[in-house]
Amino acid sequence: MPLLECSGLTKRWGAVTTVDDVSLTVDAGEVVALIGPNGAGKSTVFNLIAGAIKKTAGAVRFAGESVEHLSAYDLAQKGLSRTYQITCLFPQLTVLENVRLAVQARSPGRLRPMASKAFVDKTQAAAMEWLARVRLADCANRTAGQLSHGDQRLLEIATALALQPKLVLLDEPTQGMSVEETRATVRLLKSLLEDAPIAVLLVEHDLEVVFGVADRIVVLDQGRKIADGNPEAVRNDPAVQRAYLGVAHA
Amino acid sequence: MKYAVPVVAMLAAAPFALQSYQVTLLTEILIFALFAMSLDVQMGYARMFSFGHVLPYGVGAYACAFALQAGWPLPFAIAGAVLVATLLSIPIGWLSTRASGVAFAMLTLAFAQLGYAIVFKWNTFTGGSDGLTGFARNAGPFGFEGFVSRDGYFWLVLIVVFAMYWLARGFMNSAMGRAIVGVRENERRASAIGYVPRSLRVVAFVVSGALAGVAGSLHAGFLLFVSPEILHWTQSGHVIIAVILGGTGTLIGPMIGAALIVLAHHQLSAVTDSWPLVMGLLFIIVVIAAPKGLWGIKASLAARISLRRARPAGEKHAAS
Repeated sequence: MPLLECSGLTKRWGAVTTVDDVSLTVDAGEVVALIGPNGAGKSTVFNLIAGAIKKTAGAVRFAGESVEHLSAYDLAQKGLSRTYQITCLFPQLTVLENVRLAVQARSPGRLRPMASKAFVDKTQAAAMEWLARVRLADCANRTAGQLSHGDQRLLEIATALALQPKLVLLDEPTQGMSVEETRATVRLLKSLLEDAPIAVLLVEHDLEVVFGVADRIVVLDQGRKIADGNPEAVRNDPAVQRAYLGVAHA
Repeated sequence: MKYAVPVVAMLAAAPFALQSYQVTLLTEILIFALFAMSLDVQMGYARMFSFGHVLPYGVGAYACAFALQAGWPLPFAIAGAVLVATLLSIPIGWLSTRASGVAFAMLTLAFAQLGYAIVFKWNTFTGGSDGLTGFARNAGPFGFEGFVSRDGYFWLVLIVVFAMYWLARGFMNSAMGRAIVGVRENERRASAIGYVPRSLRVVAFVVSGALAGVAGSLHAGFLLFVSPEILHWTQSGHVIIAVILGGTGTLIGPMIGAALIVLAHHQLSAVTDSWPLVMGLLFIIVVIAAPKGLWGIKASLAARISLRRARPAGEKHAAS
């Protein structure tokens, strides 16, 4: 049984259909990339899965359960965490506290009303480990807003992973990064995913990132799924080449 | 926290050194400080600007007055009044947090005005505009005689205010308190990592209301008189000014702001009727020049000093 199963996802805004009958699956531990030219409906599919916008038709099942009417916090508690295309952090809190709050969210006693030094120490230690893995440990005590854009994206990834999810939805993790930063992030993502049994659904338009990390690639064009397969097959697919090179539809 | 022991010790010794009217003034300051601190729990930590914070305060005061009238011993009257204020805060918080920002402020103001109207109009029950009098701090059969006298009551207020500060600090540093701060900083982020913003807001509102209820019940025991005046909307304004003047989100700052307001009121009203003008000017200066309030000035000075001290040591380390 796939971890995430979407069938017949459709979104219409009035007469405009941005997502048209898209079905896709993600198995446990699998890294799936969702790509397509601008306006293909990648982000819309993503937001339909995350429940951020309402779908016109279709179904989303996560771990065998329907997640139709769940809010963002229910999804996070069920093991589906996400990052945002536009960086979304606690800018005034420290880098450490950003991750610590995520660690806390998955700890017993996450809403204890009385202060406990042991609890703070424990969650802080776990948060520091995550920061070390994305190489942000040195900036732990700076506020998140002071970080560079690339580091903020990394912090967002660290936070999403600190929730110990079964599936992470990464929305353009390298958006706005320089080429070097992007390559470093790809390497980092690969190493992070190697030692964690986390499935990933990645939306990205940087093809270097996609071919670097994905086990399987789903290609969208004009709201429809035009290809779904391993990177090699997708690379050689004539329909994909047509969509990317802009050749008129024959 | 490192100043807590000397400050409390000095305050506890105050009745031996001060004249009786000064002890009364100090009691008033402590009660208003607790009231301001209670608002900071929702205003500073959850960024919920309640314009109706007098409601739990006034309800606490009236409930305590009724309990004392019925002959309850003082500590039981206070505990009962706090319970009433807390229970009332739950539905009001649940309703008000459906909105946020200005709409939230207006809803809380509306509820407080409703409370004011009820207290003002319901003559047979609340005494209307005359208020309630004719009750005393009952010692009761459990040996609470010590708290009945003016000095004794001052000590009771001091103990309670300090205990509430300690509790509120613990709450704000707890897992739940930190999650509330997360909701304040970025609601979307907080729900993305699994926190329920609305529930946390309601909790902040209710904790804030409960603490205001404590302050209100202490007020009733202090003046031994309650009237609709304590539910007047201008009181909500005063307490907001105290919080901003002292520095939001610090608990101790609003207490200092509150002390300043009571002292200024006391000193300046003897000189001029337009003392609020002076407070207004001070408020404007603080908001423009030091948006983090008086305690924020102190904190940034302390940070600058420690930075200056740390730098030579760091350079030595780098050189070696």
